[in-house]
Amino acid sequence: MINDTSLQSVDLTHLREAPIHFNTQIQPHGVLIVLQEPELSILQVSSNVYTHFGVTESDLLEGTLFDLLDPFQVEQIQTGLTAESLDYLNPTKIWVRKRGDDYAVFDAVFHRTSEGLLVLELEPTFAHENIPFLSFYHLARTSINRLESTTNLRDFCQIIVQEVRKITGFDRVMLYKFDHDGHGSVIGEEKLSHLESYLGLHYPESDIPKPARKLFASNWIRLIPDTHAEPVEVVPAINPITESPANLTNSVLRSASKCHIEYLHNMGVGASMTISLIKDGQLWGLIACHHQTPKYVSYELRKACEFLGRVIFSEISAHEETQDYDYRMQLTHIQSKLVEYMSQSENFVDGLVQHQPNLLNLANAQGAAVYFGGKYTLIGETPKEEDLNYLIQWLQANVNEDVFYTNSLPQHYPDAEKYKNVASGLLAIPISKRNYVLWFRPEVIQTVNWGGDPNNAFELSQAEGDLRISPRKSFELWKQTVRLTSLPWQLVEVKAALELRKGIVNIVLRQADELAQLARDLELSNAELKKFAYVASHDLQEPLNQVANYVQLLEMRYSNELDEDATEFINYAVEGVSLMQTLIDDVLAYSKVDVQAVEFELTDANTSLERALTHLRQRTAETKAIITHDDLPTVMADRTQLMQLFQNLVGNAIKFHSDETPKIHISTTRLEDEWLFSVYDNGIGIDPKFSERIFVIFQRLHTRDEYPGTGMGLAICKKIIECHRGRIWVESKLGEGATFYFTLPVGGQRSERRGRKVQNNIFGRGQ
Amino acid sequence: MSGEDVKSRTIFLVEDNKADIRLIQEVLKNSLLPHQVITARDGVDAMAYLNQEGEYKDALRPDLILLDLNLPRKDGREVLAEIKTDPKLRRIPVIVLTTSSNEEDIYHSYDLHVNCYITKSRNLSQLFQIVKIIEDFWLSVVTLPLE
Repeated sequence: MINDTSLQSVDLTHLREAPIHFNTQIQPHGVLIVLQEPELSILQVSSNVYTHFGVTESDLLEGTLFDLLDPFQVEQIQTGLTAESLDYLNPTKIWVRKRGDDYAVFDAVFHRTSEGLLVLELEPTFAHENIPFLSFYHLARTSINRLESTTNLRDFCQIIVQEVRKITGFDRVMLYKFDHDGHGSVIGEEKLSHLESYLGLHYPESDIPKPARKLFASNWIRLIPDTHAEPVEVVPAINPITESPANLTNSVLRSASKCHIEYLHNMGVGASMTISLIKDGQLWGLIACHHQTPKYVSYELRKACEFLGRVIFSEISAHEETQDYDYRMQLTHIQSKLVEYMSQSENFVDGLVQHQPNLLNLANAQGAAVYFGGKYTLIGETPKEEDLNYLIQWLQANVNEDVFYTNSLPQHYPDAEKYKNVASGLLAIPISKRNYVLWFRPEVIQTVNWGGDPNNAFELSQAEGDLRISPRKSFELWKQTVRLTSLPWQLVEVKAALELRKGIVNIVLRQADELAQLARDLELSNAELKKFAYVASHDLQEPLNQVANYVQLLEMRYSNELDEDATEFINYAVEGVSLMQTLIDDVLAYSKVDVQAVEFELTDANTSLERALTHLRQRTAETKAIITHDDLPTVMADRTQLMQLFQNLVGNAIKFHSDETPKIHISTTRLEDEWLFSVYDNGIGIDPKFSERIFVIFQRLHTRDEYPGTGMGLAICKKIIECHRGRIWVESKLGEGATFYFTLPVGGQRSERRGRKVQNNIFGRGQ
Repeated sequence: MSGEDVKSRTIFLVEDNKADIRLIQEVLKNSLLPHQVITARDGVDAMAYLNQEGEYKDALRPDLILLDLNLPRKDGREVLAEIKTDPKLRRIPVIVLTTSSNEEDIYHSYDLHVNCYITKSRNLSQLFQIVKIIEDFWLSVVTLPLE
């Protein structure tokens, strides 16, 4: 969501992510003692014991807790330590005798380190900060009641900061929410009126770096009562048992990193308290309390604040989840509608775009594209197809996950900048390596208010030979205009897209299955057709022959006994049968012309023509036709079909001759990527209004008495040419002869192959 | 041919269609050669006759077989294959006489050693010519082994 503001240069990362928990210093307002159970022998103590207890470190080290406290208190503690949780013990009031009868009262908190050592932390008790539980309960209830009448997150947050400030009295209480990328912004603030407001400001990720966020997640409340107090060491620095520095990860007294202290100083903070807000195990945000001067908050009050924070925050979570839930239900409904439409459509893509709701609604996008089987289906505002080609190439090379989404595509893929107005945001799901569904969102120019220039969030300084980071000094409002970003994709939308992906995959698989079945069915029906063709040629002919033969036998045997009428009737019967036989032959010839049956080979068109003319020899002789031709090219064609084509066209030219001597000429011209053939005749010609109709099966322009024929010849020609990916047409005028033209692609199907090659170049990757 | 007494020839016609049988018989009536036509209506019957099985135990060995390809019970192609692989029968000339002009049928028949393949004419006068040619050629011109 934010332009890259974190300085990612080489050595910064380890500086920024310095392991805070190896910090061996604590804040001076309390005392830390590392103990070994069960003897409760003292292994390490903070070097400020003299200030608080009036004894030196060496007085305590190598002794036990009994040397510091009354046996009665120690026994109580020992009992508490056997309980399953230290929460029963925390906090415990402890009296330490300083000198004579002078006692100091402390709030004592125990925790165990991951190495199994017991850490006791003591903070002086301030009697007036003692709040009874009941009043705290009322406080929390009032707050929650106020929350229930509030509906939006901003008001919620406002109530939290108000309540926390009311209890604690900090000068400023803020609610800080983290983004996905670790940056954060202040979404609630309650403060002394004269203080500058931080509400709405963004803070770069480096302000609360990863190790700090990790600590916040494990340590729910952190107090720095005096940011100017000098930290004190724990001695000895190396623990005699673990042989390493004390592990202060869960210490409440642990002193903050120098960088953080400096950061607070730069902001003018004298005391700070931070309460972590955790949602689903993740640090969702912080309640940050600032005071201009040092301020102590008792352990109990801190706990109360933490409790309040947790209770109220759980309300927020529930509220957020309800909102999420409603939207999720809405998307689930859309998604199931889409799956329903897809399964009803012949092509699942239609189901995604042709109804309401459609693909756009599923992800609240302004544009969407489905790339399937090398084809795009676009809906709404999308980049152009040629841009999508490159985008998909990029996705193929760079995305291996089931889903990819960004609200700033140009940051990942700079070429996208040119169509930022439609696709600054991209949500993509690959259906397979080659097929994608994409959603787009346009650029939304936003102004982000930063608490200080995020580009100078920290600086490097060289002190005592150590390279270290110092936080920025200025927190003045710094306005940044964010470009090339869209509104962010919500997690529920991404999940809905993923669900849809499953649906599509299922349907595609099922449709592939159905297609395979269809192919099998087709194969079967093709085989059936071939059988039918054979039956037609054989079984259908047989009874016809029978009729013809017996009628002829009648005529032959009894010609003397038959009158003229009988002979005429017999002739009609014979004619009918003979026409039927020709029809069967022609339909059979037509059905044999089939793309799959075409056997492409280099064919000399001259040879095909000569063979056709041989078949037409008799009719040529009868009509005295003069047939001439140019030298014809060699083409990629089925030689039998090419011969048939010439035979039908020249045969027609002979048949439909005029009173003149028939003159027929066959010539050819090379066009860009095809051969143009023409068959010219000086015959009776064709009325141009019939120039389409003559190519239709069984269409005739004359009676059979005038010109015999079945009306199949040109239909067969057309089919042959179509199987060769060419075109056929006629140019003629009635009484002025006719010229039939047809084209054959140069090199047969080469143009088709070239098309595929281009595709390979564009989509070559990942295939 | 010598002037010896003309032996009557036996023509075995395997054809399922009664009309076709009758037609060929009618056409053969014009023949000058003494002959007799024996018919079988299916492939099984035809093989039984040729192998002199059952009621055909005294069957005459044909001088010429006219065989249709499409037959009930046992196909003409099977009949052809059996004749041409049987040492006793394979020397009898077999002429496939059929309406089929299917290339596959033609190739297949010659592969099975048919003596010749003739597509039945649709024209009666042509049929007369064909039958006459068959007679002249196979029963007069050609010298066949005497069996």
